[in-house]
Amino acid sequence: MSVQSALKTRRAVKIRRGLTIPILLLIIWEVSSRTGLVDPRFLPSLENVFLTAKRELIDNNLIGELSISLSRNIAGFFIGSIVGIVFATVLALSRTADALITPSFNGLKQISLLAWIPLISIWFGFGEQAKIVFVAIAAFIPVVLNTYEGMRSAPRDLIEVGHALRFTPLQRITRIFLPSALPSIATGVHLGLIYSWLATVGAEYFLAIGRGVGSLIIAGREHFDMALVMVGVFILGLVGFALNRIAGAAEAYLLRWRRVVE
Amino acid sequence: MTFSADTVSSASVKSRSGKKFFTARRARRTAVALFLPVSLTLLWWIASDRGWLPEQILPSPAYVYSTMIEMIGSGEILYHAGVSLRRVVIGFIFGALAGLALGMGMGLSRRVDDYVRPLFLAFAQIPTLGWIPLLMLIFGIGETLKIIVIAKGALVPMAMNTAAGIRAVPADFVEVGHALRFSRWQTLRLIVLPGAAPAIFTGIRYGLTHSWTALVGVELLASSEGLGYLLVWGRQMFWLDVVMVAMITIGLIGFAMDKSLDASENYLQRWKKEGAD
Amino acid sequence: MTILQLSRRALMAVFTASVLALPAIAAEPLTIHVGYAAIGLDSRPYSEGTSAATARAGEYLEKEFANDPNIKIEWFFFKGAGPAVNEGFANDQLDFAYQGDLPSLIGRANGLKTKYLLASGARKPLYLAVAKDSGINSVTDLKGKKVAYQRGTNGHLAAIKILEANGLTEKDLQVTNLDSAGTVAALTSQDIDAAFGDTALINLAAQGNAKVIYTTKGDDPRFGRNAGIVAREAFINEHPEITQRVVDAFVKAAQWSSDEPNRAALFELWHKSGTAIPILEDYFSNDKLAYRNSPLIDDLLVSQYQKQGIKAKEFGLIRRDVSTDGWFEPKYLKTSLDKFGLQNFWQAYGSNGKPLGS
Repeated sequence: MSVQSALKTRRAVKIRRGLTIPILLLIIWEVSSRTGLVDPRFLPSLENVFLTAKRELIDNNLIGELSISLSRNIAGFFIGSIVGIVFATVLALSRTADALITPSFNGLKQISLLAWIPLISIWFGFGEQAKIVFVAIAAFIPVVLNTYEGMRSAPRDLIEVGHALRFTPLQRITRIFLPSALPSIATGVHLGLIYSWLATVGAEYFLAIGRGVGSLIIAGREHFDMALVMVGVFILGLVGFALNRIAGAAEAYLLRWRRVVE
Repeated sequence: MTFSADTVSSASVKSRSGKKFFTARRARRTAVALFLPVSLTLLWWIASDRGWLPEQILPSPAYVYSTMIEMIGSGEILYHAGVSLRRVVIGFIFGALAGLALGMGMGLSRRVDDYVRPLFLAFAQIPTLGWIPLLMLIFGIGETLKIIVIAKGALVPMAMNTAAGIRAVPADFVEVGHALRFSRWQTLRLIVLPGAAPAIFTGIRYGLTHSWTALVGVELLASSEGLGYLLVWGRQMFWLDVVMVAMITIGLIGFAMDKSLDASENYLQRWKKEGAD
Repeated sequence: MTILQLSRRALMAVFTASVLALPAIAAEPLTIHVGYAAIGLDSRPYSEGTSAATARAGEYLEKEFANDPNIKIEWFFFKGAGPAVNEGFANDQLDFAYQGDLPSLIGRANGLKTKYLLASGARKPLYLAVAKDSGINSVTDLKGKKVAYQRGTNGHLAAIKILEANGLTEKDLQVTNLDSAGTVAALTSQDIDAAFGDTALINLAAQGNAKVIYTTKGDDPRFGRNAGIVAREAFINEHPEITQRVVDAFVKAAQWSSDEPNRAALFELWHKSGTAIPILEDYFSNDKLAYRNSPLIDDLLVSQYQKQGIKAKEFGLIRRDVSTDGWFEPKYLKTSLDKFGLQNFWQAYGSNGKPLGS
């Protein structure tokens, strides 16, 4: 009982402390923008930001822009992850493929993600395709790296059991390698989700104009509309948070399943 | 692209050949690893020679190569790489130090952690690229913007990993310190930090990668020099060869950073082992 | 396998093939992709200042194909301007495009298979605006300053020519690559000292946020820049009749845009791009509409393009010789002019800049 109540007070303390700085910052923000201490162009009042958010939501179809960004993100993420898992499986299980391809992959992965932008825009033009390809590459790399690691560290005795049971290659993959690599794959997919969101924003900034939250932020900057930029950045954060949460939950779910099997 | 892998493997052989590393097995492995890049380059060369692929989609490797030689000779590549590297180093140092301080605060004091973590986590959810337009409004498009964006890239992983590393130092170790009547500073220096070092190193590694990505992003958006600028410049002028040379350079620098981090991590671990002996 | 079985299979195959092929033959649906190397204010899908912008806002192409339900027109406007249009051509995503001289020459130098069909937005002036407190009063003052323009566009080449005439090169400046909207933001916040551009800068100056200190308007005509309608060669070869009709529509738009009585209506139409009418009036002041909106591929235009190609090579913007031979395809334009009786509607100029036949 006392432990429980101690936990409760601990949580209350945590919440109180956690909220202190944000609330203080909000107060400072509001006071300084109201009193004109700071140029409102740099720091618009909270009310202004709120009104901008309302305007974008109701009049300018913010949800529509967001769903365009998200569908791009999801399409690229799925393509990149699935191709990544298959690719990494081949590399991890085929000695020849590993010797032939892995060094080249390791070389290519050193090229910073955004450096691919010019080549992608020249190769795929201005359509949706180019953006999805870019997002897919972003998801692909961490998924490959982690899946490969996971498959490579499959327990040796399990592999031998597979040999003893005369598993077909497919059985070996589905019964031994995939299950034991699952935690790593989950980590890779989680990272892939985060990177693909970064890439979605990048694609909207750097590839041809189109719709989406990234384009909204760019428009806000061009108009020196700090309130609009803030709304956009806030949405990026919210989506990032949601994606992180979803990936975390999925990861936990997968790992729990694994624990039950064990 | 193929060039990077190519140069990379030969470089690694060279660097270790002094240590009798150049065994037959290793040579064979290198040869196999080179098979793909070399045959792809060959295919690329034939494809562009025969005109299978339009030049505007893929310039001939000979052309890319000659551009690279030319840009190395004229010092152009070195100049832009230097500008980019300087930005990354400065931004990274600021970001990593701030991240280290923040992470230590969060790792050592529950109170600090309680106060700072929620806001910090919210802050970390926003992709670094997302901040650029906002920071542009405040700081303009000059050097300050670039340094801040790069620093931000390093700060988040650095703080997260440092905090986690310090938290993970076993309580027994700290108690040993108490038993030995270590001062606070001694506990920190001799027990907590060494214990957290691997995690801090992970933070440095991720931080540097993020800084490097952020650099390319910020140079793509607004700059008049640097490797990211070279990419934009090449894209605008439809010079795929320049774009590829810039990509190769970015890849090589990324590779070099990775390797030097590997080396220093190994060194660190050796030091740890010696400490344990 | 019996003969009956075999023939039944063959029959099935023929049937399936014909079912698949039929609609394709009967009513081949076609979307014509038209690019425009600029974009309106706030990314509006409109532009201004050219007969191509008139064709867009006045729906000339859409009207031309109004009775062909299978033919659709799709317009694309590019923040990335001319260079982005090249990316579209390289991927066969565009069939026609309005594009400036330098980017179309760059595309040609890189092996893009295009043809130049008619002029649009030729003889466009360029402006140099400076930030309010920059203290820059002339082109020569730009030395060492932060100057913005969009690399690879026709404004880029024109800017270098202006610099050259004042004894400067690109290397003497800190050049920042910004698109039109980015330039406006940066000049307003004084992140840059100066910028080359057109209506966006006139507008900024009208608001008092910048000062225009130089324009090619009224200066040596060689400083100007050109543009035109460029088309993908494969599309022309595949659909010559449709190409003719597209050119017809552009010529009609050029004619309407060249009629002085339409001046007010023209600016009103271009205003769809978001550019204020007084700004457009300023942009076209002292210029005859027919001079700026002529579609003619006359000696002046051809020689200008040739010179631009040489200059671009000289400045290192194009790294191999680019030949304009066989690139200009005036056939369609000529057919249109004959069809509409416009052979003498526009004044042709000789390569010396003087009116021909006068």
